[in-house]
Order: sequence, then structure tokens, then C-alpha cells
Amino acid sequence: MSSLLDASPTSVMEVLRGERASRPSADSSSAASLRAVLEDSLLGVLGTATRTEPVTVRASSFRAPYSSGEGASALGSLRGILISQALRLLCARVEVTDVYRDALVAWRAEAGENYLSRYLAQLDAEDTARLRADVEAHWVTLRRSLGPLSHWWLPRTSLRAYQRLGAGRVILRDMVDLMVGTTASDAASVVLLDVTTAALDEGAERIMRYHALVQTLRTGTVPLRTSIFSTGTGQLWCSDVSGETLVRSAHEVVDVVRELA
Amino acid sequence: MSELTQRRFSTHVVNRLIEDAPSALVELSDDHRRSLSARFRATASLGHRRLDAWLVERAGRADHVFRWSPSSARRTLGNAALRRALVAPALTCLAAIDEEMDDQLARYLSGYARSGSLASYLASAPDAELGLVRSEAANWATQLAEIAQSIERPWQVAASDAYYDVARARTTLRGRRDLIVTRDDSRVLVRVRRGAPGSTAGPGLRSDLSIDAFAHPAGVSASRIVGVWPEAGVVLSVDGTMADLRAGARDLVRTAVVRQRSDLRLAA
Repeated sequence: MSSLLDASPTSVMEVLRGERASRPSADSSSAASLRAVLEDSLLGVLGTATRTEPVTVRASSFRAPYSSGEGASALGSLRGILISQALRLLCARVEVTDVYRDALVAWRAEAGENYLSRYLAQLDAEDTARLRADVEAHWVTLRRSLGPLSHWWLPRTSLRAYQRLGAGRVILRDMVDLMVGTTASDAASVVLLDVTTAALDEGAERIMRYHALVQTLRTGTVPLRTSIFSTGTGQLWCSDVSGETLVRSAHEVVDVVRELA
Repeated sequence: MSELTQRRFSTHVVNRLIEDAPSALVELSDDHRRSLSARFRATASLGHRRLDAWLVERAGRADHVFRWSPSSARRTLGNAALRRALVAPALTCLAAIDEEMDDQLARYLSGYARSGSLASYLASAPDAELGLVRSEAANWATQLAEIAQSIERPWQVAASDAYYDVARARTTLRGRRDLIVTRDDSRVLVRVRRGAPGSTAGPGLRSDLSIDAFAHPAGVSASRIVGVWPEAGVVLSVDGTMADLRAGARDLVRTAVVRQRSDLRLAA
């Protein structure tokens, strides 16, 4: 099942979970061949020379045009971080009364002091008000669209992944906003959801595939579905993960490494 | 010879590491305990010192003071919640975490929790931070359950970490362990870690293994310790041989020496 919903779905989780009976068996054999494809292609790009600094690939590297994310505005980054924290609170069934304040408290508890928190501290009243209004608007879309999330689906939020390839010369970093399902079952059940505050574009498709690729390399099991939801537009893109999806993503990773190396 | 192996994570690999663990049991004698005590006594400490694998991995350098946060609370709460959920299968992971947090808060309210404890942190944290604590603990518990459920041998969530008070040396050693897998007469320890293993991850695992053996009433070592880094998809393991136990103890003593020098520099 692959869906491209341009209208805001009634329930994102319902779309993602799909029909339980139609799930394929868990594929735990593709990860090794995928890794071999990646290793061979990276050897072709990087050769055998050693590097002082590894090439780091992130989901943001797949936004068009290839970039390491520095182009995104600090206000946009803050908005994204706060919505991601709000999603975590929503999944933990916290009663959120003031989303901006609560997400900020959660973020500060996790991240401590960094350049974004210093940037936030020096914002003037007008920019702070704009950020607050922005976060509240995105929150309304998120809360309305996410739908019921059963805790028997084993939801996990802000899951990090880290993969070394090419003898440590390439590092794949990733963070999935929400993952449900388990790799311990016989049927494929893992669904990945990326929540973004930006509008969906061509880069979003690559990011969806990248999440599936890194998850496969990390756990050795191919996820059932990968998706991305925009709180800016209410669009949900969702795609079943197949061997073709993963190989395509592997080639996209190699392209990014070629660009960044 | 010290044995450290590295593999890519998969459920088959964890099961194979458990099955292939050495079957010969290694026992620490009273002489070993006396020798460890003498070495720690030789490195005087200004106060009571606590050593663990984390300090060993950082070569004794404690770069920052520990403080509770959602990520530092997740292991304690997540392991306890998983233990609860195993006893009461009708509990969801989040419900088990809620029960555990309620117990911690009750301990605080009854006055049994000292300041700086997890209970006092939870009692003073705002609601949004508590939400993040729940979220982190749920991530941990689910991840640990996923690993545990794929293990074919009988397993249990460790009731506590291993603590060993070194006699007359004002030193407490803490060995972390998350799962204890029973294999006939022997046991295999499983430790789950965040991030990716660094170059000192092996010595860290070895220290946990040594502390667990010292804390065992009969001094019997686990036949292997398996470290799982799910975020990196990497598994390391160290065998419970006498060479590894000695190396683990040596790393702990070395860490105590570095700490002592650092304390003396600060005092001067």
C-alpha cells in the first residue's frame, strides 16, 4: 500500500497501520545484501584512501538541493524541534495546555544549553510571539490529524540511529520522530513516521526512503511502511518498503556522499 | 588472552553469542578479593569513591557532575517498568512506567527518598519534563523488551545493578546489567547501551563483568557479557575468563589512580 494524501487525513495512524491481515512476513534477509551494495558503491566513490573526517549523511542531506541543513532558518529549526517535542508529549499522553511552553520545557530538559537555546533567549518579543503562534498552528494540525495511538503498538519517539560504512569513512545518522510496531514479530509491523513543519517536496520522498534504509541496516529487519507528515500543509505521504525502495535509497546515499566527499 | 568480539546486531547474533559462551565457570577466590582490596587501599581517597564502567571508559575523567534528566532516568524506570509488565502482562509499557513513577513519588512523599535521588527529581520536575521522562523510559523499555523477547534461553530483567564494596578501601564498584540469561549452570549478562561504542567500550564491558563476579556471593563469573548498542546496530561481547576478569579489575584500579591524582590536584 502506497498512499499520497494531499488532503489532511482523518487519522494518520489509521492510514499507517493499514490492514493487519495484509501484512507481509518480516524480511530479515535483505539487510546484508543492501549493506554489501552500499559498501561496494562507497568503495567506488571514496577509493581506498583514508579520510581525516568521515562524511556524515543525515536526513537533512536529502533536501533539495543536497545540503547539510545549514540553509534552514534558526526559527524554522526551533519550530521543528518544538513540534517534535510536542509529538513526544502527545504520544506519552501528557495533557498539553500550552504547547509552546510545554514543548520548550521538554526540549530544555533534554538538550540543555546550545546555540539554538541561546538564539531563542535573545529573540525579541515580536519574533517570540511569531514563533509561539507558528508552533500553536502546527500543533493544532498535528493533534487533529494523528489520531488514536494504542500503546499496544509500542510507540517510540525520537529514535536515533547511527551506522558506520566504508571502514568508518561514512556515517549515516538519522532520527525518526515516531516508530510503531516491533521487529520481534514474524510479520512486518514496523512503521516509521517523520513529522515535518515544512511542505513536502521531492526531498521528502528521499527522506522517507532514507529512514527505511537506516532502520533496515540498524535492526536487520525491513520495516513495513515509511511515511512523512507535514504539519504545515496537512499532507501525508506513505509508502510500503520494498527491496526496490531500499536499493534506490542506497544509490541516493551514494550520490550524497559523492557530493559531500 | 582477553576476548572481545564485535558483530552487527541481529537477534540471531545475540542468540549465537549466548549459545557460544564458554561453558567453563571461573570463580574468584578470597585471595582475589584481598588482592583487589590491597590495590585499592594503596590509592588513598579523600572520601568514599564510587567507580563504574562509565568512569573506566573515560579513563577516570568525570567531565561533568551527574544530574537527573529524562535520558539519565530512562534506564532505571524502563528496566523497572519492564519487570512490572512481565509480572502483569495486561499492563502496557506506559502504564507500567506510570506505576513505577507513582511508586517513586510515593517514596518521596513518605520521606524515604534522599535529595538528589530519582524520586526527588521526579517530584520536582514540571509536567512537561515528566512527559519526556515517560517517553524516554518507554523507548528504553520497548527496546529492551524487543531484544529480550528474541532470546531463546530463559532470561530475566536484572533486579538491580551489581554493587561490590571493596573491604577497607572506602570504594564501591557498580556493575551495570540489564538482562540475565540463564544457560544451564551458567549465566550470560546483557547490557544495552545508547549511541555507538567507542574505542573504550570493551574495557567498560570488562569492568561490568568483573564487578558482577566480585558481587556474586560465591565469586562465580558470568560466562560472557554481551553489550548491545541498538542505535548503532552493534553487539560487543567479552568472555568471562580469568584473563578478562583480571583486566577488568586492573582497569578499575587504574581509574581509581587517575581519580586520586585528579582529587589531589584539586586539593592542592
